[in-house]
Order: sequence, then C-alpha cells, then structure tokens
Amino acid sequence: MTDIIDDPLQRRYRAVGTALAVSVYVFLLSPLVITIPMAFGTANTLTFPPTEFSLDLFRTFFNSPGWVNPLLNSIKIALATTSLSLFAGTLAAYWLVRREFLGRALITGVIMSPLIVPSVISGLGLYLYFSYFRINSSTLSIVLGHIMVVLPFVVVMIMAGMNKLDRNLEFGAELMGAGTIRMFVTVVLPQLVPSLVSAALFAFLSSFDEFILSWFLSGPDTITLPVRMYNALNWEVSPVIAAVSTLMMALSLVVCVAAISLRKATPADG
Amino acid sequence: MNMTSSIRATAIFMSPAALIAIFIVMPPLLYVVYTSVNGLAFSLDLYADVVASKLFRQTLITTFVISGISCFVSLVLGFVVALHLASQPARRRAILLGLVLLPLWTSILVKCFAFMVLLGREGVINSILSWAFDAHIQLPMILNRIGTLIGMINWQVPLVVLPILASLLAIDEAVYRAASIMGAKPARIFWTVTVRLSLPGVLAGLLSIFVMSLGSFMVPALLGGPKDLMLSNLVDYYSRQVLDWPRASTISVILFAISVSFAAPLALWRRSRRI
Repeated sequence: MTDIIDDPLQRRYRAVGTALAVSVYVFLLSPLVITIPMAFGTANTLTFPPTEFSLDLFRTFFNSPGWVNPLLNSIKIALATTSLSLFAGTLAAYWLVRREFLGRALITGVIMSPLIVPSVISGLGLYLYFSYFRINSSTLSIVLGHIMVVLPFVVVMIMAGMNKLDRNLEFGAELMGAGTIRMFVTVVLPQLVPSLVSAALFAFLSSFDEFILSWFLSGPDTITLPVRMYNALNWEVSPVIAAVSTLMMALSLVVCVAAISLRKATPADG
Repeated sequence: MNMTSSIRATAIFMSPAALIAIFIVMPPLLYVVYTSVNGLAFSLDLYADVVASKLFRQTLITTFVISGISCFVSLVLGFVVALHLASQPARRRAILLGLVLLPLWTSILVKCFAFMVLLGREGVINSILSWAFDAHIQLPMILNRIGTLIGMINWQVPLVVLPILASLLAIDEAVYRAASIMGAKPARIFWTVTVRLSLPGVLAGLLSIFVMSLGSFMVPALLGGPKDLMLSNLVDYYSRQVLDWPRASTISVILFAISVSFAAPLALWRRSRRI
C-alpha cells in the first residue's frame, strides 16, 4: 500500500483517510489523556483543567486505608494469580503444542472457554459454587476465579512462543538421554523467557484490572482496587479517582512498553 | 518413548491445567445450569417465566440494539484506523499501534471515569460548548444511550483494529499494482481489493467484538441509565439486589447460549481457515 499510484484523486482520498484516522486516535486517547492532569489537581474540586497543580490526591489516596487496603489486596491477588497461572499454563502450553494425547481437544476447549463465556456468568457460578464450600469472600476464592480467566491468555501467549522454537533442540536433548522434564527445564524454558515475561506481565495486569469476578467474590476485607473504584464511581465521583486512574494507567503503560520491547527483542519476526 | 512413560509425562505436564479445568472452570457453569432448572427436578418453568417477563424482553432487545450499533460503528472506525496503520512505514506503524494498544490495555473503569468527566452535565465538553456559545449548555450525554454507546465504542475499536490490520497487511502489494495498471480508479481499487480481501479479518473482528459486547457490564452500569441495562446487568440485579439466584442463573444460561451461538461459528470458521 505504498505510493504506487500518484494521482491527485488518490492523494485526496489519503488526506481524508488520515484526517479520519487521526480523529479516531484522538477519540481513543482522550479518556486517557484527560485523567492525568486532573490527578495532579487539588483535592477540593473535580475540574478540568485544574487551576493549580499538586500531589494532594495521591497523598489522600496513600493515606486512606479505604484505598490502600484494596490496592494491597489487588497486588497480592495479582501476584498469586500470575505465578499459579504461569505455572499451569506453561506446562500445558508446551504439551499442547508438542504432543497428541487422549482428551486434548476437550481439555483445550474447557481451558479456553472463559474467552467466550461472559464474565458475569462465571462470576455468579463461582459465587454459588464457592458458597457451597464456604470459601466465599476469601482471597483464595478471588485468586481461583482470576486464574480461570487469566489462564487462557497465558496458554495462548506461551503456545505462540513455543511455535517459534526449533524442535530439533528438544530431540537432540532427548537423544542425549535427558528425560522429558529435564529437557523441558534446561532446553525449552530458557528459550521461552521472553514469552514467559510477557505472559507474566499480561497476567498480572489482567488480574489487577479484573472487575466482574471480584465484584461477585470479594467480601468486606477482600475488596480489590477495581471494586473499590466501581463503588466510588457509583456513589461519589471523588477527585481521588483521578489519581487511582492515573496509577492504573501507569501500570498499563509499563506493561504495554515492556511487551512491545520484548517483542522486538525476540529474534524471530514476532 | 513407550506408552506408560508417555502417559506419565502427560499427567505431569497437563495435571495443573486439568485440575483447574475440572475444579474451577467447569463447576460454575454446571452449577448455574443446575440452579436454573431447579436441580434434579429439572423444571423449565423458570425459563418460561423469564422469557415471558417484560423486563427480560426489554433488556434482551436493549442488549442487541446497543451491541449491534456499537459494533457497527466500531467496525467502521476500526477499519479507518487499520487502513491508516497499514499505509504507514513499519516503524511509524509500531508507534501508532502503541497508541491503539494502550487504550486496549487500560481498565474500562478508568475510561468510564474519564467519560463521566468529559461528558457529564458540567463536564468538559459541555463547558467548552457553553464557553463557545456563551450560554449555559448542559447536553445530557451520560447516564443515557449516548453515553453507553460512546463508552462501548471506545472500548471496542482497539479490539477490532488488530484482526483487520492483520488481513490488510496480508494483501499482496502486487494486487494493488495490477489493479492500477489495469486502469482501476482508487475508489474501485478500494472496494474490489482492499475491502474484499480484508473481509476475513473484518468478519472475525466483528463477530468477536459482538460476542464480547453481549456480555458487557461496566459500561452500561456506569455510563448508561435505567433504560440501558444489558443482560449482564440484569443478572447482577437479580443476584445481588433481589437475591433471586435461580432467576439470575436462568438469565445467565440464556446469555451464555446467545454468546455461544455467535462464538461457535467464529471458532469453527477460524479452524477451517487454518487447514
């Protein structure tokens, strides 16, 4: 789609296309851009643009247990979700890419199903299921729920990474007498590091931002940051939310930049 | 490798994921179905009741209307962006793609908050309009259908850009050259080459955002009014406010069936294209 044809008509179409595209970029980015200056405004009013700048809102945020506790809960849950789903997901992704076995299609279907099942159904179902075991509103229940929705993404990302690896190295290791597990740990895992890091970052972000399951599963002591934010948006739109939004966006930005640079670092085209 | 050691290795590699599948992924769905048919009594009364209820019917229509409109608009906007990205040199494309990915990875809650500030009665846009026309303008743009649609579209555009971009980039440049040598005008090239050949990506993107939008919860809850409730919100209403679990489960199962009926063709089609 480069300039093969260069007539005035073509150029006019292009200018229109670019103008339209730029307005869509503005539409996509405006909600992100607008929250940042507000986060550095003062604590009293929610105005844009703010008249004076300060760190008041961040101070308010970090000084109120009503916000800090949910933040800590979210971090704790995201860390547990990331490590467990990465563990299960990496092993499964390797086996799914390399081997045929009985029930392969069935188990893939079940693991991937949360991609199409609306979260509200999983949320309600998990709530009913966990009440049976009386583990509702515990951190454990939220972690288990998050693993369920994060696992398909982890498996897909690791499978994509696996497909780029040279299988002959694995054959070689096995030929030299390494057992499957030893071969996996010493040959496969080191090559998968970029995919593992991207999957971990993505898993952390998904769990940290996840709302619907936490909404159904969290109790008074296990409120996550998104649930706290939803409550705040429903009852009082306080300026502190601008600071919370900015923090959440900063996390997204870090993950986004890291993922893009990792993709570049991989020798294959990515 | 012999049979037994292969089975043992499969067990080692697959058991964590299998345990999650069996004990975490499957039970909730089964539990919801079980609750909706009143357990072993297997009664479908509740389904008849739900389908007959006015609230459910209205919500069902709202869900389809909002999803339909927002997906169509998102598709058009996403196509514009994908077209622009595809025409850029690789390096600039990567940067611009970052501008699309960042909103994709930003929490919907953050965007809803921003739209409350932007579109509210005393919000940024109304203030600008008031200042421009020197009048006190308070256009209602949130807690109604407009707010819901704006939020939904903003959320869906990045999702639909990626599959369209992939199929635009897959078009062989020689086709464009051939078309122009044969004397096709830009508009004709656009329709017969660009649009026609990117159709697979367009369809895949459209179906997947449609399935996702059917289950959307936060945007209608925060940016919509009482008339913009979607099925997910109805499930939430019955389970958390009315505490009528069987009814909430019944609506969930219906929502699930609708989602699957749109997602299944997509999955089958993707699989058939891979071969």
